[in-house]
Amino acid sequence: MQRASVPYFLILPSFLLAAAIILWPLKEIVSLSLHDVNRFGMLKDFIGLEHFRSLFANADFLAATWRTLFWTAAVVIGTLIVSVPIALILNEDFYGRGIARILIMLPWAISLTMTAIVWRWALNGESGMLNSALRDLGIINSNIQWLAEASTAFPMQILIGILVSVPFTVTIFLGGLSSVPEDLYEAAATEGAGRWDQFRLITLPLLKPFINIAFVLNTIYVFNSFPIIWATTQGGPANSTDILVTYLYKTAFRMGRLGEAAAVSLIMFAILIVFTIIYVRLAMREEKQ
Amino acid sequence: MTIKKISLLAGLSLLAFSSGALADTVRVTIAEYSKGTGPYFEEAAKAFEAANPDTKIQIEVVPWDSLQQKLTTDISAGANADLSIIGTRWLLDYVKEGIIAPLDENITPDFKARFIDTFLTPSVMDAKVYGLPIAASARAMYYNKDIFAKAGVDTPPATWADFKTTAEKIKALGTETYGFGLQGKEIETDVYFYYGLWANGGEIVKDGKSGLDSKAAIDTATLYKSFIDGGLTQPGVTSYSREDVQNLFKQGKVATVITAPFLSGQIKTEAPNLNYGVAPIPAGPDGGKGTYGVTDSIVLFENSKNKEAAWKFLDFLFTTEQRTKFDKIEGFLPVNAEEAKDPYFADNADLKVFTSLLPDARFAPVIPGWEDIAQTTSNAIQKIYLGQGEIEPTLKEAAAKINETLK
Repeated sequence: MQRASVPYFLILPSFLLAAAIILWPLKEIVSLSLHDVNRFGMLKDFIGLEHFRSLFANADFLAATWRTLFWTAAVVIGTLIVSVPIALILNEDFYGRGIARILIMLPWAISLTMTAIVWRWALNGESGMLNSALRDLGIINSNIQWLAEASTAFPMQILIGILVSVPFTVTIFLGGLSSVPEDLYEAAATEGAGRWDQFRLITLPLLKPFINIAFVLNTIYVFNSFPIIWATTQGGPANSTDILVTYLYKTAFRMGRLGEAAAVSLIMFAILIVFTIIYVRLAMREEKQ
Repeated sequence: MTIKKISLLAGLSLLAFSSGALADTVRVTIAEYSKGTGPYFEEAAKAFEAANPDTKIQIEVVPWDSLQQKLTTDISAGANADLSIIGTRWLLDYVKEGIIAPLDENITPDFKARFIDTFLTPSVMDAKVYGLPIAASARAMYYNKDIFAKAGVDTPPATWADFKTTAEKIKALGTETYGFGLQGKEIETDVYFYYGLWANGGEIVKDGKSGLDSKAAIDTATLYKSFIDGGLTQPGVTSYSREDVQNLFKQGKVATVITAPFLSGQIKTEAPNLNYGVAPIPAGPDGGKGTYGVTDSIVLFENSKNKEAAWKFLDFLFTTEQRTKFDKIEGFLPVNAEEAKDPYFADNADLKVFTSLLPDARFAPVIPGWEDIAQTTSNAIQKIYLGQGEIEPTLKEAAAKINETLK
């Protein structure tokens, strides 16, 4: 008896800390989402699931939800596809590798908001750098108004999202690659495996745990990422580039509908939990095999 | 429960301790209008403290864009300052919840006489004064005299029809210069639409109903859209916020922009060679006119423990001397009658145009959910600008949504 209680006793401090930081706000948000709340967070009548009902009847919210899923998938998968070759190249020994590594990592050192604002300027239709570069190269004849419509703005936002996620992902992959023993490749080469086979049969399987972790962390991070879209379009024009976080921010702080905003954040929380559970399941099944 | 109680107790004791130690501190939340805002208020606080040694003024400067967020979170946590600047259009929500205190018991007829009436009235609700106009501004049309001259036009357009002819002449120059700098992105996209709406004789809200489905609104949308489709505005209007259009104006890429007096100051430092003039916003076919008047109010919170000291500071801020200093730094319109006589304001050609428009100025209507309505309006007209929605059904749908909010 005495012994069995020791572990619980030992985790108690961290449990209390977690409770204070995570569970307490969660309880507050749940209660906000079930009440009629004024702009200043004062609870009025209990209205049950009314906020959720009105959200699911709201076309802008539903569109933002689908767009968030698309945004997350596009940025995360795009990042992984771009990062693997970059990590492989940076793992090779070549002259100037140090500088190349620094260049790839550099965007990481700049705050995300600043990167996004710089891109807002670069994408400006009349005085932006991107248009003038494309014009100088003779690729376009007249300026493209990148941020005027979702059809051009959203793909650019995804590209920026990929760009800023690459440094972190490459770092994880480089760590993974440094743990792949060199002699495996030598053995494979003597057996007659080409570079592609070496990549497919040795590098990729050994890199898999690292790809998994990069996948999960990027998913959580990108799903909740606010600065890129906010700084470039604020989710506009006409809500056409809104993702859930920007929609949440507008609902809460611009319109002052805190109850509805709390409901949005709970829905986001639920989606992320589902992601995480699926991932944990998959990872555990693999470990068992 | 116990955790809640303990943290509450801890918070309370902290509060008790701090309020005991700093008995006469007045905290003031200030919106940052420009680089000069913070330094001005620090200086004013020092001058006030020198005259009132018992009171300490603590200034908290917040960027405009995050002001509302800060106030919302501060108020819900009960950690708000004693005084704060707020957008006067938010006032109703604050008054309704009983968060801010009326100032009437302190306002003497002499004090009231300091103000130009137009600017004090927006802060009056149910015959009580809930805030004092700390910043006042109106809108007028800036036009580039050089571009106008090149196109063979020597006066600013008096009506929207004139304006269109002028814009067509500017387009005919073929120099990638556009007649109408039209804002289509972010905050105040709706306001840019109201200029035409008022000229056409429309109203944002009339008899408790949205005016967005009125004939005036449809005419305005059709007019603006014809500017866009005719290549008379900068291309891609929905990617230009107010600052972006102002920048195009400074660069000489658009010939006009409708904005506030502070642009004059920016042009002076950033584009000193720009040959520009300021004119009234064009009138409608029936002579309808209107400019947008904006005030920000400084308010006293109901839960302030230092109301008396806070009022003294307000009284100090609204002396002619302090107001003159502040409005010169920020490029706002004078709110004190005495201040307006200062040669700086009285002899300034740009400002004279703005003050002459004040009789036609409309302020944001005092209605609940104003921000909601602004957002709905902006979304609808963005769709029209982009050609993603037919004018009439889009406006009607938005009006129906606004009527829902107004109920």
